[in-house]
This record gives sequence, structure tokens and C-alpha cells, in this order.
Amino acid sequence: MAETVLSSGEKIFILHGIDADFRNDGRRRCEYRSMEIETKLMPQTHGSARLHIGNTDILVGIKVELDIPHADKPNEGKLEFFVDCSATATPAFEGKGGDDLATEISNVLIAAYQTRNAFDLKTLCILPHKKCWKIYVDVLILQCGGNLFDAVGIAVKAALNSTEIPKITAATLDGGEPDIELSDDCIQLDTSNYPIIITLCKIGDNYIVDPTLEEEVCSTSSIVMSVLPNGKISSVVKLGCGSIQFNTFTKMLQMGEIIGLKLNKTLMDVLKEENQFGRQRRIFGFLK
Amino acid sequence: MPVDQRRINGPEVSVPYHIYSDFNKKSDKVKHDFSKRSDKRIDSEIRKIFLKTGIVSQAKGSAYIEMGNTKVVCSVFDPRELSNKNGYCMQGEIYCEFKFAPFSCQKRKIHQQNAEEKQYSLILQRALEPAVCLHEFPNFQVDVYVMVLDNAGSSLAAAIMAASTALANAGVPMFGLVTASTIGIYGNHYLMDPTDTEEAICNTQPDNEDDFNHGIITLASLPQHNQISEVFLIGSIDTNTIKQATEILTAANKDICPVLQQCLVKTIMKLHNEKK
Repeated sequence: MAETVLSSGEKIFILHGIDADFRNDGRRRCEYRSMEIETKLMPQTHGSARLHIGNTDILVGIKVELDIPHADKPNEGKLEFFVDCSATATPAFEGKGGDDLATEISNVLIAAYQTRNAFDLKTLCILPHKKCWKIYVDVLILQCGGNLFDAVGIAVKAALNSTEIPKITAATLDGGEPDIELSDDCIQLDTSNYPIIITLCKIGDNYIVDPTLEEEVCSTSSIVMSVLPNGKISSVVKLGCGSIQFNTFTKMLQMGEIIGLKLNKTLMDVLKEENQFGRQRRIFGFLK
Repeated sequence: MPVDQRRINGPEVSVPYHIYSDFNKKSDKVKHDFSKRSDKRIDSEIRKIFLKTGIVSQAKGSAYIEMGNTKVVCSVFDPRELSNKNGYCMQGEIYCEFKFAPFSCQKRKIHQQNAEEKQYSLILQRALEPAVCLHEFPNFQVDVYVMVLDNAGSSLAAAIMAASTALANAGVPMFGLVTASTIGIYGNHYLMDPTDTEEAICNTQPDNEDDFNHGIITLASLPQHNQISEVFLIGSIDTNTIKQATEILTAANKDICPVLQQCLVKTIMKLHNEKK
């Protein structure tokens, strides 16, 4: 993670603030910073989203290509996540510095979308054993201001929600060779049960959501969980070098579930609202 | 995440033949009989554990663990100084490397670490870090290498326990031992210490059933301090079930702890008798 050095005095200030349920930026423990999100902003992609929360800036581009299904899963398509922590975000990511974090984030994404309950890979199959869709989800971290996991989770969901896959009009086997005809129409992915990722960061005796970089430095352990809109949890992993008590863990899980459900609903509402502007919407892009 | 394919010799893709030969059996696999497990255990029973230290003479500390057919070797080497790239580090570090032997699973593993193994390495590291007194060896790094010789399920839990025993065997200062166990959840069934087939079943959701709990939870804890050091869950499970499952796992971890302790006592006694 990025280098932020805090003195013990500064750390104690943050800690006391969190104890009093009043954080440095005026938020309460369970409050997120305001987010800005825009989808369909990259013309070369099949779906894209950009998310801005605090100083964190995430860009997700989605490409859809044709592939051959895995031999052991002949009627399933493929979904792959690539995360790039570029050195433009912080110098700490230079060279191989960001690799560990990138692996961590992509592993969480893979785990979150793994269950059929969240993402049904069978919908990506065109001809069993022969042809399937492969969705590449490329995540680019442009700026790093804390809470990367949640930001990436939301951005990926928004990007997948905006993804349009060409409609297949005919798929036949011609002498053992697959033959596919596409139309100009597009179909959208069924995003109704996609997960989002919630990080609960334990600082002192309390836990908070959406930590800033400074708050992340004060924390020794956090829980990253992915919540499905139906209330199920599709992955949990503990990060950081500290340990937690059993009771705290269950409380964190419960809080994560509540927040996850709320965030999921808000996100879907916002995306629907954006969708209503239609194709004529002016793209905001990178201008600020 | 992609791996560097250039260093791999041989054909790029080959598949185990089982996926074709097992085609008829696959349907029974889904209709797995949950009333009795393949090794005649009851659902809440873990497999027998065999644990031995000091099996790699070159290493500072080492351990070998067997849980049923799962076999894992772990070795810990002397601390070495960290490169001064990031300045002086007040805390020591542990570096973990988790690897499946190429022949340990049904599908052959390549020599390079794949994404899963990289992830397990990180999980292993985070499971051990809270137990090790990192402040005792500032600016030094202890290397922990884990090799799974035979994967018959729950290999991550076995690896965590082997690594914790090996660290203790190496004389690395620790706050306590780390024990770990795995539970597979499939509907109403809680399968403790699942085998690889049971793991595969718990990882798949049955068709036509949407509101169904399934998944695998691995939990590492420090039973002497009542702390959870790492949780790794994958699947689709509701919060209450997770709570119940973690309760079972913490209890199991507490039960396993004496096995590790006895093993270490035995090592010390042996050393003591030899010196006499």
C-alpha cells in the first residue's frame, strides 16, 4: 500500500475520533464518502465504468471475446479479472511493488463472482465444447486514496451492468466446425445478483467502513467480504497482520451484510437513473 | 491473473482424462450420499492427524503433517536480513510460499505458482503473522516454504498447522500456536475437514436451487488467546450459517491444539534425552 507515515500522536487522534463516532472528515463509522460514478464512457470497450470516491479513482473496462470452453466445463463461459496497480497512482506501485495488492484484489473479485448464485457462467456458453464468450474485466487503479477493494467492487459491478454483448442469431455446427452469426443488437448481462465488496476496517475497539489512507495506516486488521443482493455472503477474507476476536468477527459480518445490502440497492438505483438519460447523455469523462 | 507462460515447456494445454471417463459417474457425484461420508466419518468428525517435526535436516525447523490422505511438508529457514530498499524495518517479516507438488492433485500443477497458490501463500502469511513476535527480529525475514505432497482436501488448513509447528520448532518467538480447520457447507450439511471430492461438491451450487447455502470456510485461530487469525470463505452462505460454522471451527481448533503441543513436547524430550 502507499506510503503514508503518521506519528503516534496523529494515530491517537484518529483513534479517539473513531471511538467518539466522529471521524476526521466528519463522517460516522458506518458512512461512506460520496461517490461519483459514470458508465459507458470508453468507446472501445463493451462496457466501462469510472468510480471516484474520495481520492480513489478506478477505471474499469470490459472486453468481450470469443473463446473455446474449458474441457472440464464444456457448457460454461469464462470471466477473468485483471487488476493493474499502475505507478501513476503511487510510487510504491512501481515495478513489481503493486503486484501483491493486484493479486489480492483480483483474488477477492474471483472469489466474489465464483458462485453460480452470483454469476452464472452457463449464460456465456454459445455452443458447448466449441464456443463461448469470455469476459475480460480490466481494472485500472488511477489514484489510490484508501478503500480500494470496495471501490473496485462497485466499479466492476457498474461496468458489468453497462456491458453489452452482441446477440447471436445463429449458432450451428458445420461439419464439426462452429459457425456463428451475430446481429447488431446487443443483450445486457443479468446483473441482478452481482456482489459488491465491503471492507470493514478494525481500528481500536471499533470497526469502520470506507477508510481513508490515514485511517488504513491505523488499522492492523480488516475483513473484506462480498455481499450478494439476496443477503448471502460469497467470500470473506481477513487482511492485515492483526487478529480479531470471535465476537468482533461476527459483529463485523452482520454490519457488513447490512451495509452491503444498502449499498447494493443504492448503486442499482443510481445506475438505473443514469440509464434513463439514454444514449444522448453527455459523457463527463475525465474533465473535472 | 495471468502467469508467465514462456517458461513452461511442453504442450500448452493438456487435460486429465478423468473428465471424459467419469462422465457417467459425474451424475452420482452430484447426488452424493450425505447420510454417510466416504471414509465413514460423521459430519462433525475430523480426520486423524499425524504430525512430526524435524524431518528436513537442512532447515532450521520443519514439520510434516498428515490428515487422512492430505500430506504436507513445511520447512522454515534461518532469518535473513531484508534488503535495505525500503529503509530499516522496525518489524520482522515472514515470507510464505505455498506450493502444490506437480503430482498432488488430479490435474497436474506446473512448477510455477499459479494464482490459487499465490493466494494461499498470502493467506498462510496472514494466518501466521499475528502469532509471531515480529518485533523480536527487526529488519529480518523468516522464510516459510510449504509443499503439499498429496492433496486430499483441506490442504490449506494442514499447511497452516504444519507452518505453525515448523516455526515453533525453529525457535521463532511466538505468542502462541496457530491451528486451522476447514468446513464444507452444502445446504444443511456441515462437513468438517472435507476431502477433495467433498470440497468439489461444496463448491458447486445445485441447479434449480437459488436459495441454497454452499461453500467452504477455512479458519485459522490462536486457541490459546481466543483470537481468529485468518478467515477464508468462498461460496454463497448467509450470515447466520457463517456464524454457526465459525463457532464449530473455533471449537475444533481448540481441540486440535494439544496435538501440536504434544508433538513439540515430544521433540524437546527427544532432544533432551539425546543430550544426556
